[in-house]
Amino acid sequence: MEIRINHINKMEGHAGFMASVLKGDVKSAKLEVKEGVRLIEGILIGRHYADMPIIAQRICGICPVVHNLTAIKSIEKAMRVLVSAETKELRKLLEWGQIVHSHALHLFFLSLADLLDIDNDLKLVEQYPEETKMAIKIREFGMELVKVIGGRVIHPLTNEVGGFKKVPTREEIATLIERGVETLETAEKLGRFFAGFKFPEFSRETEYVCLNNGREYSIYEGDIVSNKGLKISVEKFENNFHELQKPNEVVKRVETRNRNSYMVGAIARINNNYKKLTPRAENYLESLGYRMPDYNPFHNVSYQMVEIILAIEKSIGILRNLKDARLENALTQKYQVREGVGVAAVEAPRGTLYYHVDIDNKGYIKNANIITPTAQALSHLENDIAQYLVEVKDLSEEKRTQKLRGFIRAYDPCISCAVH
Amino acid sequence: MEKENKNKPKIAIVSLTSCEGCQFALLDLGERFLELVKQVEMVDWGMIEDQEDPGVALDIAFVEGTPITEGNIKTLKKIRERSKLLVVIGNCAAMGGIPEIKNYQEGKNTIKYVYRYIQGINNPEIKEVDNFVKVDFVFPGCPIDGEEFLKYFPSLLKGEIPQIPDQPVCVECKARGNKCLLLEGKPCFGPMILGGCNAVCPTARMGCQGCRGLRPKGNIKAMRATLKKMMTDEEFENVTEIFGLRDDIEERAKDEQ
Repeated sequence: MEIRINHINKMEGHAGFMASVLKGDVKSAKLEVKEGVRLIEGILIGRHYADMPIIAQRICGICPVVHNLTAIKSIEKAMRVLVSAETKELRKLLEWGQIVHSHALHLFFLSLADLLDIDNDLKLVEQYPEETKMAIKIREFGMELVKVIGGRVIHPLTNEVGGFKKVPTREEIATLIERGVETLETAEKLGRFFAGFKFPEFSRETEYVCLNNGREYSIYEGDIVSNKGLKISVEKFENNFHELQKPNEVVKRVETRNRNSYMVGAIARINNNYKKLTPRAENYLESLGYRMPDYNPFHNVSYQMVEIILAIEKSIGILRNLKDARLENALTQKYQVREGVGVAAVEAPRGTLYYHVDIDNKGYIKNANIITPTAQALSHLENDIAQYLVEVKDLSEEKRTQKLRGFIRAYDPCISCAVH
Repeated sequence: MEKENKNKPKIAIVSLTSCEGCQFALLDLGERFLELVKQVEMVDWGMIEDQEDPGVALDIAFVEGTPITEGNIKTLKKIRERSKLLVVIGNCAAMGGIPEIKNYQEGKNTIKYVYRYIQGINNPEIKEVDNFVKVDFVFPGCPIDGEEFLKYFPSLLKGEIPQIPDQPVCVECKARGNKCLLLEGKPCFGPMILGGCNAVCPTARMGCQGCRGLRPKGNIKAMRATLKKMMTDEEFENVTEIFGLRDDIEERAKDEQ
């Protein structure tokens, strides 16, 4: 039996699905990526390093912040540029803001309809007006964080190598704190709505990989760790994980040192770092009653909700610290252009994003490599589907297609990122 | 719901190859965008629904992204055939976007830096949407400005083609009380670029790099003379490549000769 879905809507980028089942056995299950190649790494070669964050953030319209941050961090590593503590804090805020609005988009507008068997968000919005308002309000707080600090929500402007071109005012920080406190209530309310859903049962053991700096729920820096005992510095990433391209594929997949697939993103971070949550995020997680380790990928949606609450609490904390800080310290400091190789990793909404850059002594890029979360999770997703298919293969075609689409969407894949 | 929709204008939003940020610029309008959607029948928009596109005639098709794959080109031609108006949203569709950098580089060979196996991968020269189909209106920018979309959307719904005023980015920049970056010796393309973005970049102290394209009366010669003190010709050319401006500048120079 051949199973084919021409297009999976409601996710970023273009992809379909194809599987073959023979006498009840799933022989293959594959996401068919139909995205055009923009050749981002290729077009960076020979260009000035200052262009890199500007170009690279355009890989993704949902998560430009993290591409911008990771590009900048890798360049700073390569040229050995140090930045102030205030710069780091503002960057973390940008990333938390990004996580809030990206997760809110996914869990409400892209995935919720699947849980409710609704085929169009306009119907969803009509049936759940109050919840829609809450989701929009949460998104808007995340967007406001990025806008105030980054200058714009999509493709932010102020962050650059060495610091910020412009920093927020004290009044802006104070307003964000107020909005954050309000939004936290809203997020908990929407969280209770989500906690009421019963997700399908499914489980397949895997390796969960994310950043961890040992001190906090890390998104901006740390070692690369996993629930299988991996703990390496970001510099060692490419020694432990291997990018490979199969013929006719535009996504370069990533395997672990043991040639296995693995998972990144909210579900991986919560599994590895749930002991480091903020109080209200921890309460919310407890209210869900999940057991760790949790290998049900549908729960990725709930973990995004946990991370929204976490991100808002974290943001409020950072904003309060910054209220009396010397924000002008975050303005770009003078630095020297140097030759070098730099690598960096930051937690994107969908998992660890990795950048590698090689810069010459005049500041021009000799080589660049970008490894995105969805490229890392793709094989894991397909292995999960192969198992899930056993459960749904005998449903009517319509029902099966709907189930498969919902399953794939729970992962929140970003095909534009995966191909780039 | 179906009945109500009968007399509403039919629209679709389709995406070719891009970051999809222009669609998100619409979604980011939140409730204001949901209000606007109520005035129309949304026939096809992959970001919000799973239903098959019924393929009916459209009043307006909004197209985002660069046509790179054969599938992209097919989608584009089909949507043109069934639409009264075809409106492109964003720099990729309008000017080639960042993928166009390849054209100024090694063209077909740029792919070799990225892939080991290049067989079977669509790798065409990057061409803007208007090389394939007729374009009725352009929402410029990378990404588009949501406010500007709201401003011109009503006339498009009436079937009228709006006209973006020919004024430089500087007009809005001054109105926002910004210090001029050029006066500080920082490169900014504002004077030759079409305004309407509320000068979002210079307001963040980032020089304009021209994502909205040249204004009809933009004086490129004067702009280059000013920039000569701040950047070399090569640096200028490099920056104009980011948003696909370089070919437009070269075209304009030919016309002026």
